[in-house]
Amino acid sequence: MSFREVLESGKFVVTAEVGPPKGTDISEMVHHIELLKGKVEALNFTDNQSAVMRMNSLAGCAIAVEHGVEPILQMTCRDRNRIGLQSDLLGAYALGVKNVLCMTGDHVSAGDHKGAKSVYDVESVQLLRIVDSLNNGKDMAGNELKGGTDFFQGGVVTPEANPLEPQLMKFEKKIKAGAGFFQTQAVYDIAKFGEFMKYARKFPVKVLAGLVVLKSAGMANFLNNYVPGIKVPQELIDELKAAGKGKGLDKGIEICARHIKQLRDEGICDGVHIMAIGMEDRVPEIMERAGISD
Amino acid sequence: MIISRKRDFQELLENIKNYKSFFLIGCSECASLCSTGSEKEVKELSETLRAEGKEVTGGIVAKTGCQVLGTKKDLKPYKDEVNNAECILVMSCGAGTQTAVDLFEDKPVYATNDSLFLGNMTRFQVFDERCSMCGKCILDRTGGICPITTCPKGLLNGPCGGMKDGHCEVSPDIPCAWVRIYERMKKLGKLEELSGSVLDAKDWSTAQSPRALSAREKKGK
Repeated sequence: MSFREVLESGKFVVTAEVGPPKGTDISEMVHHIELLKGKVEALNFTDNQSAVMRMNSLAGCAIAVEHGVEPILQMTCRDRNRIGLQSDLLGAYALGVKNVLCMTGDHVSAGDHKGAKSVYDVESVQLLRIVDSLNNGKDMAGNELKGGTDFFQGGVVTPEANPLEPQLMKFEKKIKAGAGFFQTQAVYDIAKFGEFMKYARKFPVKVLAGLVVLKSAGMANFLNNYVPGIKVPQELIDELKAAGKGKGLDKGIEICARHIKQLRDEGICDGVHIMAIGMEDRVPEIMERAGISD
Repeated sequence: MIISRKRDFQELLENIKNYKSFFLIGCSECASLCSTGSEKEVKELSETLRAEGKEVTGGIVAKTGCQVLGTKKDLKPYKDEVNNAECILVMSCGAGTQTAVDLFEDKPVYATNDSLFLGNMTRFQVFDERCSMCGKCILDRTGGICPITTCPKGLLNGPCGGMKDGHCEVSPDIPCAWVRIYERMKKLGKLEELSGSVLDAKDWSTAQSPRALSAREKKGK
């Protein structure tokens, strides 16, 4: 079954994320693809994440397809205009990519090419519309395609955004524009996320809770202070501290597994998206500890 | 107005190192408000250049430096001073500099300022960019606040995930344009209007340079 079919079947879905390499050596990426094959339903390939130039996500996705893993193509609007985006989408579909995650993209000022000219010819909501149009056999200008696409397109939402209301307005616009699934920014306060899900359940979309594995109390504080839309509650920071020196990551993995278990057991959302950020090797262990092992 | 800033003086000196005599042209409009081309700055630059051993044959503050015929008229009484100068220095925006290029075919023209943006003076000598002159205004859809200009990503349908406590991921000094738009529309009781529809991808053909306009009324035959 495809990622879409599994999601629609109501099974609790796990996706994870792989960042393509900065360079042409794909051995580590392939290692992670092989490691997560058969364990996760699909793998996201990031698109020059944090505006740091890397191998493109499309190549990562094509390599995943070769290795028998279903990819989710992350596509940002930062680096390509509407012609480039549509062209890459057609190419991705021809290479066997069936899922697209439409995002605006971190600003170039965050990355390693700060003098780059940002594009943002279109943005995430409009990109979702573009995918919808390609799915209907037409490009965004209304021209007929010789063979359309059949993408399952999704978006990102930040349940911890402050203020939240404008973010929810955008969430609803993304649904109007055709988003079928959402992968959220990292969430840590499961009760609060549950409140968000009560609202999100009003819409016909599947939501995967984003989870970033904490490695230490320091990392949690960093996320709280510098990363937009992430709020690690004080109890978790205390828990990481109490774990003692050198035990932060193990505790972080335990917390992540506990959250997955709770999200699934309480039916809070439709799945989780694990962003291990360098800890991809530990994802199988996280899933095992969460009681997901098929 | 067009916001301008004085270029680094050493850079200017390097640009004009091969010339000895100069005529200066300021501008009484934007550049005067930006303190880059008023009477005062023209006088100051004259003195600084003289201190560097250069000759300044004269200078004026054009009424509107971007108006070619008006500036030509402003310069008329200064024919000798202009003729005696090897080089023209323009102390306004890039448009003013190119007025001088139009008027002086056989003289080098150098800009003393960098042109930055179209902005508002919010306090004395403090300027904010408000309009990108994209050619097709969307202010009527966004509560009068331009997201194309005041959001670093020019987003049209709401804030991105980089918003933190109402501010922008690019800099905590930048208020999130979409939070501002949302709050304003809420206050005006017009949230429905804002959230009700997805704004389509913008047609950027209206922003294609070089742009020109003739606003003259066509005479009937």
